[in-house]
Amino acid sequence: MPDMVSIAQPIQQSFNPYTENGGTILAIAGADFSVIAGDTRQSEGYNIQTRYAPKVFRLTDKAVLAVNGFAADGNMFVKKVRQRLEWYRHAHAKDMPIRAIARLIQTMLYARRFFPYYVYNILGGIEEDGTGAVYSFDPVGSYEREACRAAGAAQSLVQPFLDNQIYFKNQTPAPGTSFPAHLPLQTVLSLVIDSFTSATERHIEVGDGLEIYVVVAKGSTSAQGLQNLRGVQELTATDDGERVFVVRRELKKD
Amino acid sequence: MNTFATKFSTTSAVGQLRKAQKLAAEEDEFSDAAWGSEAGFGNVAKGAPSFTVPAIPDPAAFLRLHTDDHADPSCRIKIQHGTTTLAFRFQGGVIVAVDSRATAGSYIASGTVKKVIEINPYLLGTMAGGAADCQYWETYLGMHCRLHELRNRERISVSAASKYLSNLVYSYKGMGLSMGTMICGWDKTGPAVFYVDSDGTRLKGDLFSVGSGSTFAYGVLDQGYHWDLTDAEAQELGRRSIYAAGHRDAFSGNTCNLYHVKEDGWHFIGNYDVSKMHYDGPGNVPGAPGHGYGYDIRVEGRSSANPPEASS
Amino acid sequence: MSIMELNGGSVIAMVGKDCVAIAADMRLGNQALGISSKFERIFPVTDRIYLGLPGLATDVATLRERFRFRVNMYTIKEEREIQPETFAHLVSSTLYEHRFGPYFIEPVMAGISKTPSGAVKPFIAATDLIGCLNFAKDFVVAGTASTKLYGVAEGLWEPDLEPEDLFETISQTLLNATDRDAFSGWGCIVHIITKDKVVTRTLKGRMD
Repeated sequence: MPDMVSIAQPIQQSFNPYTENGGTILAIAGADFSVIAGDTRQSEGYNIQTRYAPKVFRLTDKAVLAVNGFAADGNMFVKKVRQRLEWYRHAHAKDMPIRAIARLIQTMLYARRFFPYYVYNILGGIEEDGTGAVYSFDPVGSYEREACRAAGAAQSLVQPFLDNQIYFKNQTPAPGTSFPAHLPLQTVLSLVIDSFTSATERHIEVGDGLEIYVVVAKGSTSAQGLQNLRGVQELTATDDGERVFVVRRELKKD
Repeated sequence: MNTFATKFSTTSAVGQLRKAQKLAAEEDEFSDAAWGSEAGFGNVAKGAPSFTVPAIPDPAAFLRLHTDDHADPSCRIKIQHGTTTLAFRFQGGVIVAVDSRATAGSYIASGTVKKVIEINPYLLGTMAGGAADCQYWETYLGMHCRLHELRNRERISVSAASKYLSNLVYSYKGMGLSMGTMICGWDKTGPAVFYVDSDGTRLKGDLFSVGSGSTFAYGVLDQGYHWDLTDAEAQELGRRSIYAAGHRDAFSGNTCNLYHVKEDGWHFIGNYDVSKMHYDGPGNVPGAPGHGYGYDIRVEGRSSANPPEASS
Repeated sequence: MSIMELNGGSVIAMVGKDCVAIAADMRLGNQALGISSKFERIFPVTDRIYLGLPGLATDVATLRERFRFRVNMYTIKEEREIQPETFAHLVSSTLYEHRFGPYFIEPVMAGISKTPSGAVKPFIAATDLIGCLNFAKDFVVAGTASTKLYGVAEGLWEPDLEPEDLFETISQTLLNATDRDAFSGWGCIVHIITKDKVVTRTLKGRMD
């Protein structure tokens, strides 16, 4: 009688702490304002986990952070950034400038170089000189200041549209005219809403709700048109400084 | 005295005492430096930076599983690759030229990447491979070059700086760092270029090109390179080589950033659009040919495939 | 690497008011290496039907000839020109014949047909590589830049564009989408089909 041969192979359990939760984020810098937006759908595969999970967070009166990718990592990361910003506030009795927050985020992401946060970050806000700023990051912390950036599931749908409408790529100005270097807030808001309705139409992981944060520089006139906008809410904590608003809109839920 | 301020002060006597107590008590996850800013390097200020590593038998394999998009294009965390960078030494200093494209699969994630890292006014580093690895470690190198200056009352040599970086990345060998960089500068020995990569290779040389488009760049570079190039000729050679790579390589392009390192440190020469160089040339700059670099443009009306327009 | 990304290339078709447009890039590559900037992937089928074949270049050549043959046979047998709807089904069935060993092509077609009452009806369609038809009323896209094309087209397209406006819309869509795709670009070609003429324009695109 032949020996009993065990067909059982050693099973290697692979460690997979990551998942992808869909959604898209977007930020655009203006001359004296910055717009940071994200949809609110959170999904896993073909399932919608919730129709309202914020991806955009107010850090200070002059900085807003959008996170996309793995929601658990994203939420934990925002929590840790906020903790460091509070410590900074206690040590220096002021809010951290946005370029410093950008560098802080780089070192915090890179500290996890060998166990990365699966998160794409976009930081928007107002620089110390009063200009609008957008910083975008990869999951392990390489970053760059830009004027406009989309990230997440529908980044490839949104970004080329923005190249065309914000940077006027592939367009030639009429003779004797030139394209504006910075667009007014109203135009930027319309483009953001159009971008998300387009992405919702063609991408299954985008939809449900839209949250648009607007950070306006101190004394800027851009804030004036904002108050009577539908679904707007002011989140500013201190007076006599930068102001933060959020505009909430519905997106298609199918 | 303001008790709140005392509570969080690090310089007061109470603060000093608390600090001493804390040091004696235990090593915390964050150093005291993290309470302040420390130029953004709060987590590295205590000496060597520390990294979170997953608690599994083979962390490097874990990282590879989740980040290596060469082996598995569907992996979640994409690390950018695809680049053309070059640097060469000549009679007038060092020319450093790079493209500005970042790709994730077929998607062009960015066309405005700064692939030249300004370590300090005399040192430049180029970026190929992991963007974060290059950015982080070359910034970190900048800190240590400054410390060297403060300790030794003289600037660090390019050789020493590159060796510092080389030893640093070598200590992480096998952990998944990905860098292919040229450390360029001018020191007591004159212009210098060192190639350093994450395998631990460190080479001194006159001419290097790194990245997916490097073969195209070498083609033009080797053709036109010699030691006695004038400044204008050398700058033009750098531009022309990056154009060649940007044109033919799908993963390189958008714009070319050009730097020239001279005795008084580096100078940013300019940013040139690859497509504009193809059709119209780099513009009115020293060494420019006065026409586009593109083949069709160069041979317009002079080849059978591209005859002069019929006079109709 | 995906076989659809071996040679690269993208095609888009759009509906306008009594007109249609079809456009494609002109890059032929071997993975990352660009080989030619004069590669045609859109072919006339009849005077009013154009067919775009993005995908594997060898299959572009094969299918082009195959469809030419089949359309010629149809014309001889029926003694009339093929209608766009009929041609779409011919494309679909030809591809499905190779269900288990497909051509690596995702065809896009655009044409206009005359209704019995004499009115003009624009027509666009696309199929996947085994012939599943998609008759869209607005626009269809295919190729390596398809996701980018969807995003821009969804933002720029509007109903009832006149031929010149449709040309501008399709050109901007293709140019901006291919500029974000590593495997498409190197120049573009656009065909605007109206009831009495076809206007073909080549566009200067980014060469990187």
